[in-house]
Amino acid sequence: MTLKKIVETYGTFLAGIVLFLFLIAFAPNFASTANLLNVLKQVSFLSILAFGFTFALISSELDLSFANVCSLSAVVIGFLISTEVAWPLAIVAGLATGIAAGLLNGFLVTVLKVPSLISTLGTASVANGLAFMITGGVAFVGRWDPDFLYLGRGKIGPVPVIILFTLAIFAVALVLSTQTRTGVHIQATGENEEAARRSGINTRGCKVLALTLSGLAAGLTAVFLVANLSSAAPQMAGDFMLNGIAATLLGMTMFTPAKANILGSFVGALIIVMLSNGLVLLGAQYYIQDIMLGIIIIASVAVSASVLKRAAFAL
Amino acid sequence: MTKISARNIYKNYGAVEALRGVSLDVAEGEIHAVCGDNGAGKSTLIKILAGVEQPDQGELLVDGAARRFDSPTAALKAGLATIHQDLAVAPDMAIYQNIFMGAELTRSVLGLRLLDKARMRRESLGYMGQLNDSITDMNAKVNALSGGQRQAVAICRALRWNANVVILDEPTAALGVRETEQVLQLVRSLKRAGKTVILISHAMKDVAALADRVTILRTGENQITLDGGDLTADNLAHYILSGEVNRVH
Repeated sequence: MTLKKIVETYGTFLAGIVLFLFLIAFAPNFASTANLLNVLKQVSFLSILAFGFTFALISSELDLSFANVCSLSAVVIGFLISTEVAWPLAIVAGLATGIAAGLLNGFLVTVLKVPSLISTLGTASVANGLAFMITGGVAFVGRWDPDFLYLGRGKIGPVPVIILFTLAIFAVALVLSTQTRTGVHIQATGENEEAARRSGINTRGCKVLALTLSGLAAGLTAVFLVANLSSAAPQMAGDFMLNGIAATLLGMTMFTPAKANILGSFVGALIIVMLSNGLVLLGAQYYIQDIMLGIIIIASVAVSASVLKRAAFAL
Repeated sequence: MTKISARNIYKNYGAVEALRGVSLDVAEGEIHAVCGDNGAGKSTLIKILAGVEQPDQGELLVDGAARRFDSPTAALKAGLATIHQDLAVAPDMAIYQNIFMGAELTRSVLGLRLLDKARMRRESLGYMGQLNDSITDMNAKVNALSGGQRQAVAICRALRWNANVVILDEPTAALGVRETEQVLQLVRSLKRAGKTVILISHAMKDVAALADRVTILRTGENQITLDGGDLTADNLAHYILSGEVNRVH
């Protein structure tokens, strides 16, 4: 492996480690157990959403609706629990909401041929409106079943269960995307739809599945968010929109350069949460985070694009 | 022995008569070229052999048995693989992934069907070795390959389907001199491997260098079939330009 290739493949990952060491050295309290667990908890919400966005991106589609769909799922769960529906049913309804939104996106993209940039933006707005309709603009809060809250707040030893759930979801997503026929079929669909179709791959099915996985990820995140905060509000996942996109795009600069990949998205989420957390601890103003996110999004795509260009020039 | 026989094929697109009773006999193990000017009906004939289009009339025999291909998959299953001009490869994926696209091999790990990447790489190398032993890294991306090497990847995919008839649609169009030579080598190695090759080409020099026989079409009909000493680039050009139906040499 040449040095250039190593930098291309692991550069961002190494930068993440440097950032981690820097924050340990200079950010007050960053290295405390409580803060590190808090970072990992934030990574949980963000990375699950980013995994969904990653699958959509691997199939060459965007899902700009995941944050609003996540809020809608959360509100559905909160509404059902506050009307004393059994919490496992509420969870099923929340996941179903995410899946339904993903199926809708898949239908719009593959059957009605509405570009995903537009169709998912539309879905996002509809989901947002529905969330406000259900709540009437306020949040559901209450004393909910401790068994339900355990999903978001429980611990096994010192480790929050939510982190264990996230690692399990990460493992499933990683294996699905890189080690199964379904995963390569989604990838082939994204790389060259016509070639994939002629090879007998159900390309429409792959796109629908990828967008549905994104919806499912939004539903899963909603479960953990509501259980963690014991409340559900119509805009509660709003901040995850840009963060999730940034994590995925940052992930594209790692491991398999210029390609969306689950491992990259996970590390991307880690870096972004560490950075946000570190900036607060270092006393940076709140608006610095937004500026930082914007820079990460643009810089990641610029780096990925240059890798793609180099690959093209290698012809 | 006749491998492929198309008899009296008719195909209309609305009012356009693309094929008007074309026949084609391809012997097993030969390189058979189909030539003709634009509009001669070459592409339509190939689409019928590839299962992309169905004839309005006429008969298609493979190994003497009448067949009808309702889809490209049906043609593939009968052992006819068509490599279209655009090759249909995914440039940013590995060579072995392209060769096994849509037919990936799996193995059981803890009850899960996971990809058997090692076996796919090994088998890809085996297919590639029959064609071009200079390509050894099956993890390399297709966009790192030359045009001729990409053609090899597309042909390997056909071999993976166990095709014994390989139909090449304009394989040297848009290639440079050296790459064209690579593709000619590929076609020869296919013949050496016992495959039957149907070659559609505008490049008279390539056709003359490769083909055992040439069927020339003109406005949807058979014009003439050449073989042996008659098969020269000059002769091909002469017949295609003049439209003559009798052998003059």
